[in-house]
Amino acid sequence: MPVQSNNGSAANKFARFGYNTIVKRNSIFLTTIFVSAFAAEMVFDSVSDRIWDNINKGRQWKDIAHKYEESE
Amino acid sequence: MASLAARFASASLTRTTRSVIVPAAGLASQVRFNHSSRETTQIPDFNKYKSGSGDTTNRGFSYFMVGTTGALSFVGAKTTVADFLANMSASADVLALAKVEVDLNTIPEGRNVTIKWRGKPVFIRHRTADEIDEANSVNIAELRDPQNDAERAVKPEWLVMLGVCTHLGCVPIGEAGDYGGWYCPCHGSHYDISGRIRKGPAPLNLEIPAYSFEEGNKIVIG
Repeated sequence: MPVQSNNGSAANKFARFGYNTIVKRNSIFLTTIFVSAFAAEMVFDSVSDRIWDNINKGRQWKDIAHKYEESE
Repeated sequence: MASLAARFASASLTRTTRSVIVPAAGLASQVRFNHSSRETTQIPDFNKYKSGSGDTTNRGFSYFMVGTTGALSFVGAKTTVADFLANMSASADVLALAKVEVDLNTIPEGRNVTIKWRGKPVFIRHRTADEIDEANSVNIAELRDPQNDAERAVKPEWLVMLGVCTHLGCVPIGEAGDYGGWYCPCHGSHYDISGRIRKGPAPLNLEIPAYSFEEGNKIVIG
């Protein structure tokens, strides 16, 4: 039975482009994985820090330090 | 055909059980059903389950999932290792005690000061110009542990060293010994005015800790 192919669509063109540029060579695939792992970690950390700071606004030392550090 | 099969069956039977020959009934009348002769195999219609998005999209999605799984596992592994390593590093209360600040204005020229740093004594000597000249005039080649005076003091007038004898760890006495520097009373090691070993059993010069000069004539050790 022939594979029902929808190869002309935009999603397929995008998928083929991604496959050809990233996955085809294993070295590039692995490099992309590690680089994106670091990037994802940085993004996750900064976003979660921002959420934490937002929730605890006004309660952390860095928010109130300017009231106390002038005496030094 | 039937007799051949029966003989073959009996041969194998006699070898194992030595029983009576049993004719293999039914072998001759075996009917082989074939899907070409009769419609016995009905392949279900999988079209409902087949992806209509095209093969390259499916391939791309599969590799995307593989790559994402790899990346997330790598983040997990890296975080685990980093947490274990962070466990070993010094905590904030230890780091707060790791540095000592000394105001050098309180030390007059030609005087020794001993301070405690990380549980060990540290000698700070405000050397006079004569002492600096004396430290520089030594022939480096004949020293046991050859070191320039410039290697041992960032600013020549300030000599900062760990007050632990390199022999067995006693605390040497200042302004004593044959060379005008330090003298270890335990086994008689003599250090000169640059803290270099000159006589006695100690193998090395007095150790220099990491230190830096800060604004306002202060020194930070550590």
